[in-house]
Amino acid sequence: MVKIKSKIEEEINAIFSTDRPWVTIVWDDPVNLMDYVTYVFMELFGYSRERATELMMKVHNEGKAVVSEGTREEMEHDVARLHEFGLWATLQRGDQPL
Amino acid sequence: MNQSHGFTRHGEELFVAQFSDSEKEVLINLSQQIIELLAERVDHHDQDPLAAMVGITVHDSPPDDEVLLRLLPNAYADGVDAAEFRRYTESVLRTKKQAHAMSIRTMLMSSEDGSIELNHELANAWLGGINDIRLALGVRLNVEKNSHEELELLAPDDPMRGVYGVYSWLGWLQGNLLEALMDGIES
Repeated sequence: MVKIKSKIEEEINAIFSTDRPWVTIVWDDPVNLMDYVTYVFMELFGYSRERATELMMKVHNEGKAVVSEGTREEMEHDVARLHEFGLWATLQRGDQPL
Repeated sequence: MNQSHGFTRHGEELFVAQFSDSEKEVLINLSQQIIELLAERVDHHDQDPLAAMVGITVHDSPPDDEVLLRLLPNAYADGVDAAEFRRYTESVLRTKKQAHAMSIRTMLMSSEDGSIELNHELANAWLGGINDIRLALGVRLNVEKNSHEELELLAPDDPMRGVYGVYSWLGWLQGNLLEALMDGIES
């Protein structure tokens, strides 16, 4: 009983905890133009051209990059918008390996 | 294919292009194919009409078709989470992508002389719509495995050569619309 309770508490803590945010990851894709990926980051997240270009290069060179952080609901919203514009995106807990 | 000059910026927020008849036809046909491809799966007789009205669908498995899977990808690596997300969002995503393709199709169909004027919002719809077509053609061309150099060397009678020509042209078109859009943005 104690064990189950602590497991539930852990889950609840994880939901409300701000130090374990969720992340949105964009994966490299052979079709999407580099300029397009940069532009989508600027449009959807309001990032500066410089920051958006940096993230795009990270996706391009490393195969993936975290592009936003927040609650699970916020990240689901970000992933849905990235999918609308054809970027290959997933979300996961921030404390898990990419 | 490069008969037009692509998009140029006119003033603050207007992006203008002139398409030839053949370019118009190609874009209208491909947009129509995307719209049809994204039509809802209708094989479920047990669909709850109320759930359908708010965009919840009973199917939650990833699409079998490779192109559809690229257009409607999984949001989670975990299968259970991905299925749950898909159940609540796939229908909306299909509709939004169809709307992008629809705006390309209807604008070109109603343009007698092939001239197109986009404001910022429409430019975004066109970018997304052109990108979906490129993603679909990219899957068919297997750009993941075939390099651009290899695709350039396709035999003249290879039907994929024509597909690659259209794919390249769309990349060029998307690129100059992006250039025109980014022109107005400070770096």
